[in-house]
Amino acid sequence: MAGRPRGGMRRPGSGAGGRHRVDFYTSLQAVVNGLLTGGLYALVGMGMALIFGVMRIVNFAHGAFMMLGMYAAYVLFLDGHLNPYVSFPIVALVMYAVGHVTYMGLLRPIHGQSDFMQILLTLGIGLALTDGIQLVFGADYHQINFPLLSKNIHLGTHITVNAPWVVSFGIALVVGAGLYFFVMRTMIGRAARAIAQNRNAAPLMGIHLHRVQAFWFGLGVAAAAVAGALLLPVFYLYPGVGDQFTLKAFVMVVLGGMESIVGAAMAGLLLGVVESLTSLYWGNEWALLVDFVIFILVLSLRPSGIFGRQKA
Amino acid sequence: MKRWQLAAALAGFVLSLMVPLVVTSDYQLQVLFRIYLFAALGLAWNLVGGYAGQLSLGHAAYFGAGAYGLALFTRLGFPMWAVLAMLVLLAMLFALLIGGVSFRLRGPYFALATIAFAEVVHAAAKNLPSVTGGDVGVQVPALFHTHVNRSFYLCAVVLTAVTTAVTVLISRSRFGYYLMAIREDQDTALAVGVNASRVKLYALLLSAGFTALAGALYGSLFLFIVPDQVLSIDISNEIAIVAMLGGAGTLAGPMVGAAVLESASEIFKSVFQEAHLLIYGLLLIVVVLFLPEGIVGSVEGMLRKRKR
Amino acid sequence: MKHILARVLLPAVALSVVLAGCKSGGEQSNTFRIGVVTSLTGSAAAFGQAHKNGYTVAVEELNAKGGVLGKKIELVYYDDQSKPDQAVQGVTKLVDQDHVPIILGAYSSENTRAIVPVVTQKQVPLIIPTAVADNVVQTGSPWVFRICAGSGSFAASTLDFLKNNGDPRTMAIVYENTNFGQSNDKSMREEATAAGVKIVDEEAYQASSPDYKALLQRVKAKNPEVIYFASYLLDATTLMRQAAEVGLNPKYYTSAGTGFAAAEFPTKDKGAGAYAEYTFSVSQWLPTAKWKGSKEFDEAFTKLTGAHPAYHAMEAYAALLVAVAAIQKAGNAQPAGIRDALKAVDLPETPFGPIKFDEHGQNAHPLLITQILDGQYKVVWPKAAAEAEPVIPAPAWNKRKGL
Repeated sequence: MAGRPRGGMRRPGSGAGGRHRVDFYTSLQAVVNGLLTGGLYALVGMGMALIFGVMRIVNFAHGAFMMLGMYAAYVLFLDGHLNPYVSFPIVALVMYAVGHVTYMGLLRPIHGQSDFMQILLTLGIGLALTDGIQLVFGADYHQINFPLLSKNIHLGTHITVNAPWVVSFGIALVVGAGLYFFVMRTMIGRAARAIAQNRNAAPLMGIHLHRVQAFWFGLGVAAAAVAGALLLPVFYLYPGVGDQFTLKAFVMVVLGGMESIVGAAMAGLLLGVVESLTSLYWGNEWALLVDFVIFILVLSLRPSGIFGRQKA
Repeated sequence: MKRWQLAAALAGFVLSLMVPLVVTSDYQLQVLFRIYLFAALGLAWNLVGGYAGQLSLGHAAYFGAGAYGLALFTRLGFPMWAVLAMLVLLAMLFALLIGGVSFRLRGPYFALATIAFAEVVHAAAKNLPSVTGGDVGVQVPALFHTHVNRSFYLCAVVLTAVTTAVTVLISRSRFGYYLMAIREDQDTALAVGVNASRVKLYALLLSAGFTALAGALYGSLFLFIVPDQVLSIDISNEIAIVAMLGGAGTLAGPMVGAAVLESASEIFKSVFQEAHLLIYGLLLIVVVLFLPEGIVGSVEGMLRKRKR
Repeated sequence: MKHILARVLLPAVALSVVLAGCKSGGEQSNTFRIGVVTSLTGSAAAFGQAHKNGYTVAVEELNAKGGVLGKKIELVYYDDQSKPDQAVQGVTKLVDQDHVPIILGAYSSENTRAIVPVVTQKQVPLIIPTAVADNVVQTGSPWVFRICAGSGSFAASTLDFLKNNGDPRTMAIVYENTNFGQSNDKSMREEATAAGVKIVDEEAYQASSPDYKALLQRVKAKNPEVIYFASYLLDATTLMRQAAEVGLNPKYYTSAGTGFAAAEFPTKDKGAGAYAEYTFSVSQWLPTAKWKGSKEFDEAFTKLTGAHPAYHAMEAYAALLVAVAAIQKAGNAQPAGIRDALKAVDLPETPFGPIKFDEHGQNAHPLLITQILDGQYKVVWPKAAAEAEPVIPAPAWNKRKGL
């Protein structure tokens, strides 16, 4: 089994790292780990879906905002001695404000311009934020430590989960549910959905376009920032940490179907599991590639997304 | 085309060719090389992005195809003219695959699809060291052995001139009108019988071919390439930014964009050192906010207003 | 109108901007300029800073003793932003604009490999402080000199240690998917196979991933006696923490230095803390090394930055020392003369050990094997330099206290 080429995929290097025979429990463990990671992905993706769905802005600065959230949580930990699982609401509020101001100050003026310019703008914002943080905090990475991080929970004899991942999954679930509630049940959520459906008609129905959009942008940014805060304990912090998540967020939004935040959430979980299983069966270096391959497959076969209903 | 415009263009071309008589420093020639190379890349990108209105953020796939094509096909022993032809064809093959899938999508979805494809190529190059050398890299043959920087600079000028000429020819042809029709309103264009998919694809094939040639030049200058250098999303972004900043859909846009961006980058690096990316980002923001049609687009807009 | 803008204005604009923006170098003749390429920003920024601090200590020390050839030393830095093409551009600028006769750098194996053809073409000597990939000294260029040991030596030293301490027969290699990692994987695979050790698994990973658990489970399934890591610090931390979660218990955790030999690695705040315990590493240098000048460097560095130096800083320091020694010997600022002086360098006692370059420009830097015991790096091999007995096998994770 090991070393024999599968289908058309050539294995890099020697044959010693070929396809592994894995038993059921190892696969199950990988699925569980993937779901836990996917929970965080989902939160980032939901944030992007909020922004993209309502404003059709491809937010290249999304990962940078997530990174800012991580730094905010870090500062709160160092100076306020609050661990991120407790401080995340503060992070959410602060970053909501940042997002709101960003929209009002930078994105609103170019409202109505071509997609191109919006993308350029968010690219510029992302670059400025990343380098700006480096000037303030330095290029060095940081990490935090507290007792919960080393606790492992055993589910039966075969599955082990790391406690912080479970906690962050739980919080992500709660926050995600909250976002869903906002979209579906509140006036402002309805207004946002109206804008998403028909931007030009919405103001005619009494919807204050920019106020709603600023709110949603802030919300989307806050979601990403909370994901960052939750990631801080199990990862490490450096100015470029958000970049990989921007790309993943794009993938999730498309997979999930335009503005469907539930879709983006499901896509996040799916991505986590797929990456984990790919790592297990083929090796870690193929995991990122698989993300994009799925993305392309979905785009070509079902452009409305796996979970979406809208036209592409 | 008016005679005096043609004369001016030729004069500019000749002037550019004469620059190495004045500038002899390798470093300055390299900076100028970068400027002209990205001008050419921006012009090539413009065929798809500016005239057809399709925002491709994955042009690194073609750029890398050119650089790697040069390295790998030469290793197989083909003569240089064949190698160049093959790398262009390779990039066009990528374009066929990418366009085939992506052009079915509109607006931001198209952009995201192009990013995904470019990342697939990027990751594949990293993970297949037996083919591409992986991250250890692969040697690229030197196209020139003497007066290296000057020769590369001249090649970049020629490439820019050729892509300019092609762009002018297209913008005055029926093909060009089809492209612009698609950009303005694809549904209406379809309704009047424009074969949108085919037209977009042809534009992409052309664009990919020129991009690949630029990639081959770039790779040969450095003599050694790794995936992160020629296939990264940074390259795709830089190509698109050069065109968009200068003014997508304008003829002079990519060239102005390249000059401004590359010079700014170099100046910022020596003046601001560690803060240069911050300044670069702020520059992007400022230009977008105050020059939304890109530099050339805004200037043309102002000139048009004056005339009235 | 547009065409005029495009074809005539552009060359003029570009030219004037470029000329205006470039400071003409070489006007000050009262300092001796040496070029440095390193990663002050980007993913390798932390190590670029370590380089810079090491260079700073060296410059202060050397200038206090009178500099070189009667002038004060001035280092001209170029930040390659952790990108290979920027490193190349940096070399071009340093040689053409700033007229430096010698270059030190870069940091990573990728960037260093990229600048080798350029220094060769421009005929300027290059001293490599930290890049360990073998291909940087295998191009046949006479202008390249490396003071640190390469990945081939890493493998050989590790295997030598293993053979004399339990002689395990199976090994798994876990490496980062870059020039650095792939180079170490290749070296170890070749040397281990030649030494009769079977490679049962090779796992490449994408750096900075949050989750390596699946990868570690694959390794666990193959049940190797030894695991050999080629990782930078951030991934080293993640890998060890997650190895504990997964319950991976080989007899030996070994590594190709770098992340596993960083000063921060055994610390709780910036490294793997208790999870780093019992790991072996090749080491280029430690503050406790017995070479003359090591301790003084450690003290000077700690005074400058408030933290102890890792070996990257020492390598930068040593690189500048060697450069200056060669320049002094050459007696002038001609690159060819400095190159010849470097070829003839024979310094048996530097703070980085003996330095002498072979015909490939490689210094036969002696490597040590260290193990982390009680949160400290202790030299355990070769016996003559050992300060402690190695602990083998590594205790199983669930039997360790204090985790």
